[in-house]
Amino acid sequence: MSGIAKTSVLVEEGGNQCRKRSNISASSDQCSKRSKFDDMSSNEKKSNFSMLNPNVNGTIKMTTSSMNKPGATTKKLVIKNFKSKPNLPENYQETTWSKLREAVIAIQTSKAIAYSLEELYQAVENMCSHKMASQLYVNLTNLVEAHVKSNIEQFLSESMDRQVFLKRMDDCWRAHCRQMIMIRSIFLYLDRTYVLQNPSIHSIWDMGLDLFRHHIAMNTLIQTRTVDGLLTLIERERGGDAVDISLLKSLLRMLSDLQIYQDAFEHKFLQATERLYCAEGQRLMRELAVPQYLAHVEKRLREENERLLHYLDPCTKWQLIHTVERQLLSEHVSGVLSKGLESLMDGPRLRDLATLYSLFSRVKDGLTELCSHFNAYIKKKGRTIVIEPERDKTMVAELLEFKEQLDNVVSTCFQRNDRFLYSMREAFEHFINQRQNKPAELIAKFVDLKLRAGNKEATEEELERLLDKIMVLFRFIHGKDVFEAFYKKDLAKRLLVGKSASVDAEKSMLSKLKQECGGGFTCKLEGMFKDMELSKDINITYKQHLSASSECGGLELSVYILTMGFWPTYAAVEVRLPGELTRHQEHFAKFYLAKHSGRKLQWQATLGHCVLRAHFTQGNKELQVSLFQALVLLLFNDGDNLSFEDIKTATNIEEGELRRTLQSLACGKARVLMKTPRGRDVQDRDHFAFNADFTNKLFRIKINQIQMKETSEEQKATEERVFQDRQYQIDAAIVRVMKMRKALSHNLLISELYNQLKFPVKPADLKKRIESLIDRDYMERDKDNPNQYNYVA
Amino acid sequence: MKVTIKSWTGVATWRWIANDDNCGICRMPFDSCCPDCKLPGDECPLVWGACSHCFHIHCIVKWLHSQPQQQCPMCRQDWKFNNK
Ligand SMILES: [Zn+2]
Ligand SMILES: [Zn+2]
Ligand SMILES: [Zn+2]
Repeated sequence: MSGIAKTSVLVEEGGNQCRKRSNISASSDQCSKRSKFDDMSSNEKKSNFSMLNPNVNGTIKMTTSSMNKPGATTKKLVIKNFKSKPNLPENYQETTWSKLREAVIAIQTSKAIAYSLEELYQAVENMCSHKMASQLYVNLTNLVEAHVKSNIEQFLSESMDRQVFLKRMDDCWRAHCRQMIMIRSIFLYLDRTYVLQNPSIHSIWDMGLDLFRHHIAMNTLIQTRTVDGLLTLIERERGGDAVDISLLKSLLRMLSDLQIYQDAFEHKFLQATERLYCAEGQRLMRELAVPQYLAHVEKRLREENERLLHYLDPCTKWQLIHTVERQLLSEHVSGVLSKGLESLMDGPRLRDLATLYSLFSRVKDGLTELCSHFNAYIKKKGRTIVIEPERDKTMVAELLEFKEQLDNVVSTCFQRNDRFLYSMREAFEHFINQRQNKPAELIAKFVDLKLRAGNKEATEEELERLLDKIMVLFRFIHGKDVFEAFYKKDLAKRLLVGKSASVDAEKSMLSKLKQECGGGFTCKLEGMFKDMELSKDINITYKQHLSASSECGGLELSVYILTMGFWPTYAAVEVRLPGELTRHQEHFAKFYLAKHSGRKLQWQATLGHCVLRAHFTQGNKELQVSLFQALVLLLFNDGDNLSFEDIKTATNIEEGELRRTLQSLACGKARVLMKTPRGRDVQDRDHFAFNADFTNKLFRIKINQIQMKETSEEQKATEERVFQDRQYQIDAAIVRVMKMRKALSHNLLISELYNQLKFPVKPADLKKRIESLIDRDYMERDKDNPNQYNYVA
Repeated sequence: MKVTIKSWTGVATWRWIANDDNCGICRMPFDSCCPDCKLPGDECPLVWGACSHCFHIHCIVKWLHSQPQQQCPMCRQDWKFNNK
């Protein structure tokens, strides 16, 4: 009796874990002791009970068909039995079977079994030993089949609540499993001898499953009701209703165990999934903003994964997730991007962008599309930064900020994906060259501002980092010569007026440019620094020369000697210098030219500056002024009330320049001249007098020359010089190539030139230069082939 | 005297005294150096011939080495250095 109690405890929990449990009961001490099958490997035991092994499937079908005609088998066995064991009681088989039959029916109807399990085991073993196994198996099959058939009716009634139906189905399945486990344990000897020796015969457990599948699960009406019920339940659960998850799980396991999960359920389930998310995707794309939509998709994917964990068969995973991705993502890739990318990037909403990236990386072409929209966004936004002249003041700062923001997005949201980095560079290069020359000019000016003395906003490390960032922008510029022209002009100012913040920073910037563009690009800039050093040496030797000869005392003259080709071109300005200055100037020139024969010097009056001693009634001051300011002030040693015209004649300073000079002396912060009549602007009729009562708390006073606003003409002049220089470089490149190749076709020459020239140029311009060189006899058109050029030595 | 000059920082540009803009041999402008040099100046000076033509020194020396006769490449007169 204890055996019965034990078995019923084991199966009480339900059909779901029948496989596990059957192993336990088969290997439990009592069971193995009684049935003496200790030598059976656990593998064999398992394969007997498991329905998930596909190999078993084939066997099932074979045996099912063989069981349909049991008559022949029965006869054969009966005859054999009588031959081998003639000494059994005459009705032994009949009485024994009726005992077993009674027990099975008791199990099927949940009644107490009248015999001890010991007795039943023994009965089975005896029958098997007396060659009655085959008949026993057939009898048992019939008994189980009859019971399974008796269960059909309850599922066929006209109308039934779906929930009730599913519950009933689950109960029926669990009862079947429970009963089959008990039956199997009674007939274990049969399972382990007769069934094992006949590969075409099902194990008792499999025979039960087979009958259940055949009569109940494969019944069209029952199957439709079951599957539809399950789908409705899942639909409600997806909609947010709380449903009986364990019921779902149990029934889906039933389908799996019966091997009809895929055929009967999975296909319909995936179709339902597809329909649901197709409609949901379309609706939510209309209703939700992109970040909310993405969050929803993430949530849906998470939920479906949980569904797989909680009740779906794992084999559905790939198709299910793929279906959700297709309907919620693939279908809406370009919709999501064109609706939402711009505002996500503008934010920038980093977390949403990271979500976008990780979701799109799941679907085919998702990242490709994202990348191309990203690229288009950069080009569009970047263009607005560079294209509008009103934004010129902030262009470089905005570009730096934009770049930093994009870098941040790519590294924190797009996993530093190379494709995106490359695309970003391509986009920058594209939009920054949408506007000719201006970005290059403004980048140069931005650098000037940062390298100029008085820029206190940065420590040296900060400045260094900033210059590195600038270099990134610089890299995208096609017209690097435009940058160079403006950079050079500003560098000249910084060097000559002593306005450079730090030599180290200047040199560092120079080496960055050299690294980026090569030595050819920076050799003139380096030449400027070299001139500064050479000038320092020259001034030292000049001073020694002066002290030795004791000529030219009084003022102290030092001169920056510039090599013509390195520096920006300065217009030659002739002004009238007082005799003392002329004498010093000539003296220096004589000294210099004696050391450097074959040269001539051109004085650049606009670039000179002086320190003056000025005597006011309140005390003496030192004035730091430009040469022009000095020339004007010196005039007041000899006269007191000078008209604009007087000053103009005496100094020969150009009118506009003179007006600004007088304005700085008489209308600025430090008014060492007095103007009558008073007023901000200098008129032709104005008169000027020395302001003897000038006061200032400082001893050294710097009087800033009023800078001419960089007019568009001056700008044009710089651009024009760049243009001229390009013509010259094209000529030089053509001659260089032709000299080397001697003869070359037009197309080859053009492509060589494109390789060599570092600035944007149109083929038509190249053609013009070629014509010009032919005119000047540097090269000629081949007499036989007009498409070929020959070098003229 | 109300104002006197204490010091003056002047700026001057130098260029070669040449009778042409470009070197007749390398065709580079005299304001820059010959193709073999990096910077114009004392490292790549100009020289004048008795015929009054002038070249980068590196250019004329190379030229004279490559020729059987020592002639000015511009006017074909015998080449003599003119020490100005
Ligand atoms: Zn030369
Ligand atoms: Zn040279
Ligand atoms: Zn000559």
